[in-house]
Amino acid sequence: MILAVLLIATQVAAQDPRLDRLDPDTRTQVTVVVDSARRMGLPAEPLIQRALEGATKGAPGPRIVTAVRRLSADLGTARAALGDGASVPELEAGVAALRAGATPQVLAKLHSVRRPPLTMALSVLADLVASGVPADSAAVAVLALAPKARDADLVEFRRAVERDIALGAPPAAATSVRVNAGADVLNAASPPPGPALPRRP
Amino acid sequence: MFEQEDDIVERMIQQLRRPVAVDPGLDARVLQAITAPRPSQRGVWPWLAAAALLGALTIWRPWSRGSGADRPDTLQFVLVAPQANSVSLVGDFNDWDPKRSPMRTANGIWAAVVQLAPGRYRYAFLVNGVEWRADPGAPAARDDEFGTPSSVVTVGGKGS
Amino acid sequence: MGIEKVESSDAELVRRVRAGDIGAYGVLVSRYRDRLGRYAIHMIGDREDAEEALQDSFVRAYRSLARCDDPARFGAWLYGILVNRCRTTGARAARRRRMFVRDPDGRHGAAHADQSERLEWTDAVDRALARLAPQHREAFLLKHVEDLEYEEIAELTGAGVSALKMRVKRAREQLQRYLREAEHV
Repeated sequence: MILAVLLIATQVAAQDPRLDRLDPDTRTQVTVVVDSARRMGLPAEPLIQRALEGATKGAPGPRIVTAVRRLSADLGTARAALGDGASVPELEAGVAALRAGATPQVLAKLHSVRRPPLTMALSVLADLVASGVPADSAAVAVLALAPKARDADLVEFRRAVERDIALGAPPAAATSVRVNAGADVLNAASPPPGPALPRRP
Repeated sequence: MFEQEDDIVERMIQQLRRPVAVDPGLDARVLQAITAPRPSQRGVWPWLAAAALLGALTIWRPWSRGSGADRPDTLQFVLVAPQANSVSLVGDFNDWDPKRSPMRTANGIWAAVVQLAPGRYRYAFLVNGVEWRADPGAPAARDDEFGTPSSVVTVGGKGS
Repeated sequence: MGIEKVESSDAELVRRVRAGDIGAYGVLVSRYRDRLGRYAIHMIGDREDAEEALQDSFVRAYRSLARCDDPARFGAWLYGILVNRCRTTGARAARRRRMFVRDPDGRHGAAHADQSERLEWTDAVDRALARLAPQHREAFLLKHVEDLEYEEIAELTGAGVSALKMRVKRAREQLQRYLREAEHV
């Protein structure tokens, strides 16, 4: 039984020569994770890239394996939220959004309000959090804009928020001011007072 | 009556007067363009000279033109590092291999041009083979499991 | 890119650039990037083309910096280069209508009603602007959005002040009509 597992592992280890950059032990463990992911229909490439990143950065083997395992799990969560039709870029961006603090429910909601590809919307959500915006504010903002904004508009929104933050605005306020101007979802319960100035998100 | 009619134009003007945020990476691209040799100068930048001759500026396009285009985008990565002897661009698009995208320099401004299919890519600059730097003009990669900074670039479009 | 330190005047920065300090030019670019970008984006109507025109203008300005007679008025001089550059793009590029993806089956309800109104408005603004003839749009933007005086605009565009006033007036009339049309759709 053990021999069979070892044989399988060795065979598969030969399949992606890029993993030769890893030490044999790490390579074997990473390969096991990659193959398991493949069997579940998850993409292998992001996992391999994560392992290669670790290799280039000289990270210890166990850390690389942990990172690859975690990514595999998160890809599964992203796929569950975004559906089987999600592309690899969407899954990767979905992982970024999840790690930024978006819940699977947020991802699923995004999937329901926006036509694919969702890559940019998910990326913008993750990038907003990276700039310091609290995850729930970022999620509200992106969900408000998602139904109608084009990818380019979402990127512009992210840049505008980053600029506001760089100029000293508190991060949560930066998104809510822009969202209030472009999409009054935060105050959905009551209509806005008078004709507030609209702006492009 | 006059005031009421003009109101809608005034609203439009207020809208148009709102500040816009241009890509901050434009600064680096401008500096990189002005330090590159002109078409009349040949040298270490033959590919740049060719691009200039074709009348095309290499431009950062983090999203594709048109709707849902699947073709790869050409992106230019720039780092200002006057003290560096070598800078490599490494990321999810080149297997994190420092040998794949060495950057070229003029006056301390390092640049590399890469074609990227739609997707989200982590990347970083490796300076002098030892020092990791994120891209100051790009969103930070939030999860850093390996103890060094990275950045993210997202290319829109369908991908596979 | 980098951190801008003490506020140097434009004239000082131009002086330093002429003395060989390229980094000083980076400061000038940062200083004018967003303001000029706003004009380019509204004039050209397409963000990518606008950023290309903007980048190109900055490069041209650097290369012809020797011809900037009054470094203290670098900004105005730079504006002139941009206005000219935007004319070239406007003539070349086809007008792209910005269509937002319409909600196909109306399932998003009241929570998004305000939002869709806002986006409809910004869409209407973009479209109205796009319908103006380039000369009218240029004059309208320089006067009402960029706040330039007619004399300054005359210098940049080469048109006479009274011609410019006519263009701005026409632009306002047309915009009013286009926006009213959009409201009644």
